[in-house]
Formats: sequence, C-alpha cells, structure tokens
Amino acid sequence: MKSKQKTVIALKNISKIYEGPPQVKAIDELSLEIQEGDLVSIVGQSGSGKSTLLNMIGLLDTVTEGTVEIEGQDISSLSDNELSKFRGEKIGFIFQSFFLLPGLTAQENVAEGLLYQGIKREERLKKAAEVLEDVGLGDRITHQPKELSGGQQQRVAIARALVQDPAFILADEPTGNLDKESGMNILNILKELNKQGKTVVMITHNQEHAKKFKKVITLTDGKIVA
Amino acid sequence: MKQRLKIKDLFFVALYGVRARRGRAALTSIGIGIGIAAIVAVTGISASGRADLLATLESLGTNLIKASPQAGFFGTQEKLPDGVVGMVERIGPVEEVTSTTQTDLIVRRSDFISEFEGGGISTIVTSPELLQVVGGNLIEGRFIQDGLSNIPVTVLGSVTASRLGINTLETPTKILIGNEWFGVVGILDELKIHPDLDRSVFIGYGVAKTLFDIDKEPTTIYVRANPTYIEDVVEVIAPSMNPENPDQVQVSRPSDALEAQEAADAAFTNLLLGLGSVALLVGGVAIANVMVMSVLERRMEIGVRRSIGATRREIRYQFLLESIVLSGIGGLVGVVLGTGVTLGYTNYTDIVFSIPVSQVLGAILLALLIGAISGVYPAIKASKIQPAEAVRK
Repeated sequence: MKSKQKTVIALKNISKIYEGPPQVKAIDELSLEIQEGDLVSIVGQSGSGKSTLLNMIGLLDTVTEGTVEIEGQDISSLSDNELSKFRGEKIGFIFQSFFLLPGLTAQENVAEGLLYQGIKREERLKKAAEVLEDVGLGDRITHQPKELSGGQQQRVAIARALVQDPAFILADEPTGNLDKESGMNILNILKELNKQGKTVVMITHNQEHAKKFKKVITLTDGKIVA
Repeated sequence: MKQRLKIKDLFFVALYGVRARRGRAALTSIGIGIGIAAIVAVTGISASGRADLLATLESLGTNLIKASPQAGFFGTQEKLPDGVVGMVERIGPVEEVTSTTQTDLIVRRSDFISEFEGGGISTIVTSPELLQVVGGNLIEGRFIQDGLSNIPVTVLGSVTASRLGINTLETPTKILIGNEWFGVVGILDELKIHPDLDRSVFIGYGVAKTLFDIDKEPTTIYVRANPTYIEDVVEVIAPSMNPENPDQVQVSRPSDALEAQEAADAAFTNLLLGLGSVALLVGGVAIANVMVMSVLERRMEIGVRRSIGATRREIRYQFLLESIVLSGIGGLVGVVLGTGVTLGYTNYTDIVFSIPVSQVLGAILLALLIGAISGVYPAIKASKIQPAEAVRK
C-alpha cells in the first residue's frame, strides 16, 4: 500500500546543530518520509527536537547536514522566493499560541492567509468567510482575537491555514494552550481534514493526543526511537 | 520572480502596523511633524514677507531714483550744479523730477532746549512736488503747498513727529527751526523707502531764502522714470547732472535698500531652516529607532507572514513602507501646522499671506524621503529574521 502513495516530504539523514555555546545537536542524523494522506503525530519530551523537526519539515529553517526533499525536489537548491512560495501554497501552519494578528478581525486574519498569493482583497475576504463557516465560526467573523476564546482563536488559525487550500498541514502543539474539550475539538478537526485528503503532521508532548493519529513517531534527543 | 503582493495590499499591510499602534505612531511622527512645520512656517513667513515687500514696492514704485553729490572730502554737504533739475528733465523716460536742499538748521521742540541739541532731525527745503514724487501720504494737515512756501510753516516726517511728541494738529503747534518759530501744518505717514525723509522737517524755499538766506541749490534730486527704462536712466543720470565729473554724483534706487534688507533677513531665515532640518534629522532617527524596536516586538507577525508565503522582499517592503507612512503622516501634520503658524503670523502682523505650493510639496517629499531612509535598516533587519526563530514559542 505504501508504494502506491506519493512521498510528500523526505528527510534524509538530517542534522541540525545550533552553534553555541554550548553547541546543541537538536536533530541527530534523522531520516523520515511522510506520504500523501498521512496523519502523523510526532511526540516527545520538551527539548527532544520536535519543534526543530517541524521547522525543517515546514521549510522554516535549514538543515545543517543531510537533505530535505519536497515532492522529490531537493530544497537546498531553492531560493528564498521559491521557498516562500512553497510555504504559502502547499503548507498550512498552526501554532501553539495561535499567532493571530491583533487588531484584525477573524475574517481579516484568515484572509491574510491569501495575502501573498496575489488574490484580490474582496475575494480573500469572501473565501475567509467561507472557511470560517467550515470551522464553525460563521457567527464570529467580525470578532477580534481578544474577543474569542482560546479554542475559537485556534479554529481561526486553522481557517487561516486552510484558506490557501494547502496539501499539507503542520501543527505545532495546537492543543498546548487549550483546555481538554477545546483540545479534543481541534484534534477532531485535524482528523476530519485528513479524511478530506490533507496530509497532517502534528507535534505534541501529549501521548494521549498523539495516539489518536494513525502514525506516531516518538522523538528523543533528536532521534526517532519509535 | 513576479511580485505577488499587490501594491494596494502592500499599503494595507504597511498601514496595519500603524493602525495597530496608533498612540505610538502619533508619538513617532511628532519629530517629523515639528521639523516639517518649522520648515513650512519659516519658508511661509519668509515668502509672505517677500510677497508683502513686493506689494509695498509695487505701491511705492521701483521707478524712483535718488541722486545726490558724493559727500565731500571732509563730510561737507556738496551742492549739485545749477539747473540740474532741468538737465534731468530732458532725459527721455524721466516723468517727474523734484529737488530738495539739505540744510544744517537745528530743529527743537521749544526754546527751553539748547540749540546744540538737535536730536538728529534734519531740515529739508522742498518744493511742493516732493510729496507726489516720493509717493508720500499725509496723516494729517497738508504739505508745503504753493501758497505756504513763503510763510514760516513746516511739515514733519513720521519719525520726527513722534520724537517731538506731536501726534496731532488739533491744537496749533510751533517748533523752532534754526532760531525761528514755525507752525506745524502737516504730518507725513511713514515713507518706508525713505528713512531719511521720515527723520526730517520740511520747509518751503521762499521762507528758507527770507529767514535763512538759503538759495535754491539742490542737494538731492528725486526722479520718477518709466519703469521699462529705469536701468538706462540710472546709467545716464550722473553724466547728465555733472558731465565733467559724473563720479561725484551718487545715484541710488531706494527700493534697492529694501531688497538688501530682505536679503539680510534671508540669512536669519536660513538659520531657522537649519534648525528645522535638525528637527527632521532627529525625527528620522526617532522613526528608525521605533521601527527597530517594532521589528523585534513583531517577530511573531513576521514569522506568521513568512509561514503564509511572504518573501524576504515582501517583509522588507512592508516595514520600509510603514516607515514612509509614519513619516508621511508627520509631514502632513507638519504642513498643516506650518501653514497655520504662517497664517497666524501674517494675520497678526497684517502682511500678505503666501506659501508657495512647491515648498509644501517639497516638504512632504522630504518627509517621505526621510521615512524611506529611516526605514531601510529596520526593514532589512525584519527581512533577515529567520522564520523558525520568529515562530519560536
């Protein structure tokens, strides 16, 4: 079955070393393939290198050693513009602290997700309203982040990640700042998105949450242990 | 690669930073606002002064020429040759000529004052035409008209009147000229371009001859000429008056003196402009400073933008434009303030209001330029932030 699937991201023997002092080897010769349609959680203690790994997968950071291939292409040859374009079109990011822009409404925040795609403002706002409806916030589109609960804010952030219709969703501790119920809600949304065909990678230190995903990768000291 | 962020969107993005922190934006713009206001006000007041001067010159006429002999070797008052008025009258473009004779008669308010204390007021013997030729106006009374030339009456220049404490002719007033009493029949308004006449008293030729034995020997002549040929008249007037020694005739246009005074004011204007520029420089540094802090503070925003597809260049443009917007706001406020100050000043001093549009546009452009320069470093700094670093928890 695996052979029929397309490899979206392939990490080959990557290492990430933060030049100190002290020098830290956050990722240690790690190899990993993520297939199209995967629902993967990466779990590990804090300091195990999960966030660093996610940044590598999300093209937010560069590797010290090894290669990262996206859809078969080695990204070390890509320029900043190409990488940015790739992030903008293919990857939807969800962060632990939501990272919504204060002062903008939920709709405007979601529309920002299309800002760098060369789409007209009216169209961006229209699309944003649709996606907010999809995540169950159709009645909150004019609210500012500070007027929303944590779970609602995270759903706005998910809408922002989804508005550009990415193939690939990267979530960095998306439930970390939420209560249990809101956390479960977010997990269900991610699972639902996976059913609709999106590749979802989530990092978490919550074993229980991690187990709800099809594939669980456990990270310790920058290495995959399970 | 094609720019995907549209220019209009770039403006929205740049305004986001300003809108989200309005109080800070206002404080940041103050420096530029003050600088631009100072520059606009200084140039506006200077331009208004200039416009007012031109209006004054227009009304007084720039076609007035004054000619007098060079002061003698020992400072003695030289006389002009006989019949000089007739000679000058024959110059084609000359329209009007009149002459005066400077005397050394002492002017006193009364005989309680020593006859050696003249108070710097000179006595000028004049014919009736003088008032018209120099473009003077009377505040009160009349000038030395034809019928008054032979009787002991006098007209006071504006400065003379205030020095002698004679502000009105309601009660008959007499002053001492030489050692003779003269009745005051008129007070002149300020002449502006003839400060020497403002400090004089005027008497007629007839009475000058009978009381002081002063002949009609002109020491100064005043000439009105066709403005088109004014330069030519200035050139030929000395040789016409004294063909043998034209060097001994001093020819001047009183309007030149006003212009020279204006030039002196320009030096002061430049000083103020310099101060305005310093304010702008400080304002620019303030913007750069706030922008650098803002960049550090908004790492999250930069990280999010990078993760949703912003390129380094787009981040750079965003912060550069934000800096320009901040400075531009300061510039606009400065223009309004500066114009207001100019308006207030011109109203207060009762002069013509004038602000050249080019200077207003120039000031706004200058503000934008300063914003652009101040924004370069913060913008580059923002674009160099690694996305991974920016989204770190």
